[in-house]
Amino acid sequence: MTENIFGVVGLFEDPAALLKAVPLVQSKRLGKLEAYTPYPVHGLPGVLGLSRSPLGGMVLVMGALGTLTAFLFQWWMNSVDYPLVVGGKDPSSWQAFVPIMFEVTVLFAAFTAGLGMLLLLNRLPDLWHPFLLSKSCAEVTRDKFALSIEAESGSLDVAAAQAILRQAGALSVEVVAFPAPASKVSLNALLALSAAGALTCALAGAGMYGAVKLFPVLPPMSHMLVQPRLDAQQRGMRPPVAGTVARGRMPYLGALGNPLPRTKAVLELGRKVFSNNCLICHGPLANGTPILTAAYGAKPANLQAKKFLSYTDGEIYHAIMHGKNAMPALGLGFTEDERWAVVHYVRALQRAQHAQDTDLP
Amino acid sequence: MMPALTIQRFWANWLVWMLMLLSAGLGALFVVALEHLTDARWSVPLRRTAERVSGLVVPGSVAALVALFSLKVLYPWARPEAVTMPLVMAKAGWLNIPFFIARTLVCVALWLLSWKVLAGGSLKQDESRALVWTLRLRRFSPFFLVVMGLTTLVVAFDWISSLEPEWYSDVIGVYLFSGMFLAGLSAVVLAVSHLIEKGRLPQVRFDHLYNLGAWMFAFTVFWSYIAFAQYLLMWYADLPEEVYWYQQRSHGPWRGLCLVLALAHFVIPFFALVPQDAKGDLKRLKRVAVLVLAAHFLDLYWLVFPVLGDRPLFSWPELSFACFFVGLAVLWVRRSMSQGADMPVGDPFLEEGLAFKL
Repeated sequence: MTENIFGVVGLFEDPAALLKAVPLVQSKRLGKLEAYTPYPVHGLPGVLGLSRSPLGGMVLVMGALGTLTAFLFQWWMNSVDYPLVVGGKDPSSWQAFVPIMFEVTVLFAAFTAGLGMLLLLNRLPDLWHPFLLSKSCAEVTRDKFALSIEAESGSLDVAAAQAILRQAGALSVEVVAFPAPASKVSLNALLALSAAGALTCALAGAGMYGAVKLFPVLPPMSHMLVQPRLDAQQRGMRPPVAGTVARGRMPYLGALGNPLPRTKAVLELGRKVFSNNCLICHGPLANGTPILTAAYGAKPANLQAKKFLSYTDGEIYHAIMHGKNAMPALGLGFTEDERWAVVHYVRALQRAQHAQDTDLP
Repeated sequence: MMPALTIQRFWANWLVWMLMLLSAGLGALFVVALEHLTDARWSVPLRRTAERVSGLVVPGSVAALVALFSLKVLYPWARPEAVTMPLVMAKAGWLNIPFFIARTLVCVALWLLSWKVLAGGSLKQDESRALVWTLRLRRFSPFFLVVMGLTTLVVAFDWISSLEPEWYSDVIGVYLFSGMFLAGLSAVVLAVSHLIEKGRLPQVRFDHLYNLGAWMFAFTVFWSYIAFAQYLLMWYADLPEEVYWYQQRSHGPWRGLCLVLALAHFVIPFFALVPQDAKGDLKRLKRVAVLVLAAHFLDLYWLVFPVLGDRPLFSWPELSFACFFVGLAVLWVRRSMSQGADMPVGDPFLEEGLAFKL
């Protein structure tokens, strides 16, 4: 019989009565003491002798980790992996990182506090805790405060526990047993849950439908430049000074011819870029015999044709940069060097198909 | 040294210390009003101390009236060359000497009235023990909330922003308010700790101090949030008439002061007050309060002194001013501490306040 007993629960009228009862009950050392209250009672952890929760330390560590994560994340993306100049600022400007660092700190700290408290430290949800099935639990969810003496290593002097709780001023005393093993979710509960889910979906759908029907759809702001605020200020951010050169983008000023030397390394670079980007349409020999003939309707240019043999280097460069007929502008995806290297490589391909006697060794 | 700079330096020092006195006084008065506004119990035993500290609005107001003589020395808009600055002329409706003096007089009148009502009413209740005073003060406090908000804004615009009249910031009022409330809290903490050490507040416990510490902790973060928000927006927008203000305050020798400010006004107090026990630990609170008051001084110094030149001036004049005004403030509060009871003995909630538990 006693193996099945979870504990003895006494109910108290208010927090003060509960706090007063604890030392008396504690002095008998009948079992593990636990309190159940409708809200946190100040002073109770001290009286029950609970140790300080580690949650505060966990939150501090995770908050600091959040700051660090957000900083490294942004610093690596913005100033190492893909540096973008926005508004003329250095890509590694720490000022711009601070709001995100703050947010991620709060995020990490809040999640650690919430989830750490619920899941890790309190091991919730605990739906089959014996106390939940007691009559006293119903009272605690209303306005009473419960103190329970719980069996340690399966044994509890029930009679003594009842007596000491009464002596400590409990309004009522209840012996709580462990619930019968293997309590299953009933079919009714499952049905009710599904019905509730379906009803929620239906309500949400109807609500959405009604909202869209009743209220006209607001047009989103299609472009930052048409916002009223810009006009109010009569300007946006300061435009860069005339002649400003973007970071890492030194142009070949006034270059008409190919500025790169025709070396093996340059031709190798050109071959690589050509194979990855041009070959799929223009073909490996640049003669307009593409790999994608069937799937791609357009007819790519045959760079071996007379027209293109007489092109200057600059004209080929211009086609890469700005596109030509159906060919899209591809130039911005490459560096200046890569574009000129492709020009060299195309010249080499043309020469290979139109070799002259002088080319023989 | 040029004599002109000496006069400017005198008034710049005066301005900083006038703002310090007003910060401590109005901040403490705000602590008093908060109790009436929120029906708080914990602060009842500490309220008399806050009321005594709030007496600093009297020397602060006098200093503000004296500082009206500085207008032509410190403020470019008050000088004839203002006509050459189109942006300043556009603000002439607000920035002109008669209106400035009128605003200052109204502010001073409102501060003295609020102090008279909130601190004086509480003293009268000591004698009469009449419940009606509690009700009167409670009804007056929302009015003081409006006074505090508007006058802080006016002080920030008039005395601080208009030192460089082409610059403006919408949030400077909130910035000044957050610093003022922190300074007021710190002054109250110092006064409370003095009384506790003398054994004059025997029933004030950890639980009462904890709330003071929690306010300080919260507003340390609030100040930093506002200060950084103002900086971030101006840094991002990079508008010439805004950003030069930060340019001159964050480069050269001022850069170091920025770092010290960030450490002393945010990082150190924040981490000193993070642990739960620290917020009610009198020794720790006292140290943090001294640090926060010093940081608030540096904050005001950083706001005002860059108009004098590229290099921070800190020497005998500044030290003399510090000694004079700190001494004046301490004497002023000490004098009020020698009169009347140390707690609002007429307040019907004093018992409850003393029994307060976290």
